[in-house]
Amino acid sequence: MAINGDGSGKDEQKTRFSTREGVYSLMPLIEYYRPNRSNFSSTPIPLNAVHLSLVTVPGVRDYPERLCLNIGKELYIYVYKGIKSGADMATQIEKKTFKTMNPTCHSFNTSFTSSDSIPLLVGFNTGIITLQDLIRKDVCKVFNEEKLVDNTKITCIQWVPNSRQFFLSSHASGQLYLYNEELPCSASPPNYQLFKSGEGYAIHVCKTKSTRNPLYRWVIGSENSCINQFAFSPCNLYLAVVSQDGFLRVFHYDTMELVGIARSYFGGLLCVCWSPDSKYVAVGGEDDLVTIWSFHHKQIIARGQGHHSWINVVAFDPFTSSYSSAEQSSDTSCFSTCYRLGSVGQDTQLCLWDITEDVLRQPVFCSSVNIKPKTNDFSNNGDAIALTSTNHVNSNNCIAVPTHHHHHHHLNHNHHYNIHLGNHTSSNHHYSNNNNNNSSSKDNPATDSSSAGTLSRNSPPSIKQRVLLTFVEKRGDGGGGGGGGVGGTSKKYSTRSNSSGGSEKHCNYSIKHSELEDPMKLIGTAACPRFDQCPLLEPLICKKISNERLSALIFKEDCILTSCYDGSVYTWARPGKINSSNAHLVATTSSMSTTMSNDSTSTVV
Amino acid sequence: MGGNISQLEKQIGPDNFPNNERYCGLINFGNTCYSNSVLQALYFCKPFREKVLEYKARNKQRNKETLLSCLSDLFHSIATNKKRVSTVAPKKFIARLRKEKEEFNNYMQQDAHEFLNFLINRINEIILLERNHGKPKESTNDDKQSSDEPTWVHEIFQGILTSETRCLNCETISSKDEDFFDLQVDIDENTSITHCLKCYSNTETLCSDNKFKCDKCNSYQEAQKRMRVKKLPMILALHLKRFKYVEHYNRHTKVSHRVVFPLELRLFNTSDDAVNPDRMYNLVAVVVHCGSGPNRGHYISIVKSYDFWLLFDDDIIDKIDQSTIEDFYGLTSDGQKSSETGYILFYQSRDTDTKVTHADIRANGK
Repeated sequence: MAINGDGSGKDEQKTRFSTREGVYSLMPLIEYYRPNRSNFSSTPIPLNAVHLSLVTVPGVRDYPERLCLNIGKELYIYVYKGIKSGADMATQIEKKTFKTMNPTCHSFNTSFTSSDSIPLLVGFNTGIITLQDLIRKDVCKVFNEEKLVDNTKITCIQWVPNSRQFFLSSHASGQLYLYNEELPCSASPPNYQLFKSGEGYAIHVCKTKSTRNPLYRWVIGSENSCINQFAFSPCNLYLAVVSQDGFLRVFHYDTMELVGIARSYFGGLLCVCWSPDSKYVAVGGEDDLVTIWSFHHKQIIARGQGHHSWINVVAFDPFTSSYSSAEQSSDTSCFSTCYRLGSVGQDTQLCLWDITEDVLRQPVFCSSVNIKPKTNDFSNNGDAIALTSTNHVNSNNCIAVPTHHHHHHHLNHNHHYNIHLGNHTSSNHHYSNNNNNNSSSKDNPATDSSSAGTLSRNSPPSIKQRVLLTFVEKRGDGGGGGGGGVGGTSKKYSTRSNSSGGSEKHCNYSIKHSELEDPMKLIGTAACPRFDQCPLLEPLICKKISNERLSALIFKEDCILTSCYDGSVYTWARPGKINSSNAHLVATTSSMSTTMSNDSTSTVV
Repeated sequence: MGGNISQLEKQIGPDNFPNNERYCGLINFGNTCYSNSVLQALYFCKPFREKVLEYKARNKQRNKETLLSCLSDLFHSIATNKKRVSTVAPKKFIARLRKEKEEFNNYMQQDAHEFLNFLINRINEIILLERNHGKPKESTNDDKQSSDEPTWVHEIFQGILTSETRCLNCETISSKDEDFFDLQVDIDENTSITHCLKCYSNTETLCSDNKFKCDKCNSYQEAQKRMRVKKLPMILALHLKRFKYVEHYNRHTKVSHRVVFPLELRLFNTSDDAVNPDRMYNLVAVVVHCGSGPNRGHYISIVKSYDFWLLFDDDIIDKIDQSTIEDFYGLTSDGQKSSETGYILFYQSRDTDTKVTHADIRANGK
């Protein structure tokens, strides 16, 4: 079955891929762990996701990076040499084997790492947390040892930004706990008192005579819906949490107020990350989509379709993203904003996405009709103005890559066109019916002018693009045919804008509890727009880079790190980072043996 | 057996055991797990179960035995069982099935999907037949109307696919609707059911031997064709095509590709004029194939009952953790031949789900 529209050989595992900035090459495969295949076939045990934690130790000249990874019952710590590696690909500092539990996640305290202390938190599938120090071997603390706090798997563990002692851990039970590493856990099951609650969440404070861990308990989402990941914003003010109930919830961390929500198209959300300027949140999940949520507008502004299965990790690439640091950059400056997002998933593929200015500026969904005067003109007047206004938007963009870029124009046009349909359903009906077909819309000159404008930029449109095009337009078509029935999408549009009297009030986050109970009610709102209500991104690249499911993605200045469920860790040198000193290391299709030196191996209970 | 029974009740817990719910394992009469697994899955498709039990209530004194009457007797014996957990022998049903279909009249392993397909269609036929039979014959016109009227099988399982064909010569688009009771989906390695469904609706080019007869051009032309869902059914049954014919071996082999399926699903491949494109589905049951080939191995089913999951392996019932479902996605690499993989997925539309839940609450309140 030919499914890859982009023409890439789907079964071939890639060792290099090129983007607009150049070619990324796979460094020698560092297989930190070689799973015993014969063991696997007799008793197939489901593996945990292999996560990577990385820290740079200040003051260390050669190889200052430490890498932590968990595989099955084992935890490994390496000196990470990146693309500068010599003969030894990685030096193992420590290997711990746990008999009764599996490490599931870990985190270095990057703010308080020095040559004297490298604190590392490890969470386990039993709910237990340990704190150790790579330098100070006397540090060895265990939290929730009796599993009195929570006995479900720890799904994510993070230090509170710039804090030496506070950390958060999320559990499969749907709860998030704040710990102070200096405090002991209470000897009996903790008693909680409601501290704060809001729509879809409640925060409890631990009630004890003397202060004990955990300090706070956050109960998030519907009952027992696993918290899959959380992330602090780079500005340190906000906490984004994604859960199996399909929700992204963004909190102001200090005030514990819920400031925004979004819903997956369907299914659980598995991963979350912030743009480096804290303006956008990206999530990925069981809908195979990458979803971009704008903090400012509190709404989903784009979706990315490219993965063939669930998305395990999303991460912004701060080194390839270009954005202005100023608070309000969008309207006046001609600075070209473009965020680079990466995602890896169960389809063994790495996708890179460029979120360009036209998508970011694109007045999406409800905001489009009322806030931007341009679009008001557009919906009130004829097609000619509509075209000028969109062209105007396009000409404002100053992004370097035309080949990649025109696709977004394509989407924008469709988007505008769709809004337009809401007001002129009958006149556009003909075109909509022929949406497979860019040459048959001649009968309707008005429509034709706009459609020609759209399609000529994309010539020759591939089949895939046509499919996309119809997706974007589909609700408009229904509106024409159903005499206003399904046209509700477009019509709702105008109704909404009328009722709100042009204010942007309804764009702000205001979710009633009932809506949280029934996600169906969110369909078509800013928290979960329909497919045609927000721009659809196509990946810049989409490459199969492994034979196993991918479970980690880290962007570094000179390379990209990925890992997968079988324990292999891949280092991809960035373009231009391969020189005469390391060129011989670049992986070829032939298998390469790697050397690893084991300094110490210990087994603990 | 007795130990096992009390164990399930223990697993669920007396306080959590749903009122008025019965869990009955089905005895295997020699390779009848294909039937047992499908029957259990269907029993936990609540709208279907309710209709079958309704049928039983309406046709108490009917003595003509049909596959439907046998099924309704079986469902009735489960639903009205004295014990909350027990075992039932679907003897009459299997006997009837073997009478009705030659292919099933043996002790060999059968394809669960073939059986499902046969069962659903046969039930539908029986309803139509009885509907016409019961009515006094007036005019042929009325008869035709009554057979056109959808049955409850249609209401539950029937969806509509619309196939759009665009002639590459005259650019005319012609579309044709067809009904379906389930979607048979090709699978690919390390994908999701979402992706497989998307591929189901990929545009294919009809060319060379497979040209399209264009009415407008009045000749065979190259064309592009695409199938999309126009009406989303109440229960969406998805058949993963895991048995591929391999010419080299001259037999069917199993494809154990890992295909993940979420607990909640919406369709991307709906047509422009789809009636209910926003329908949100919940996974309610999965028929799982265990083993290496279509004619060997075993079928089991996992079903959702209230807020927990149960695994039915013929007469054995186990409560399983929701996270266990991932064991049935398949294998990342095809190194192993044998696998336990989701084979037929049953998704129930959430709008119908809430209705059922309300009805349940009322029933429980009594």
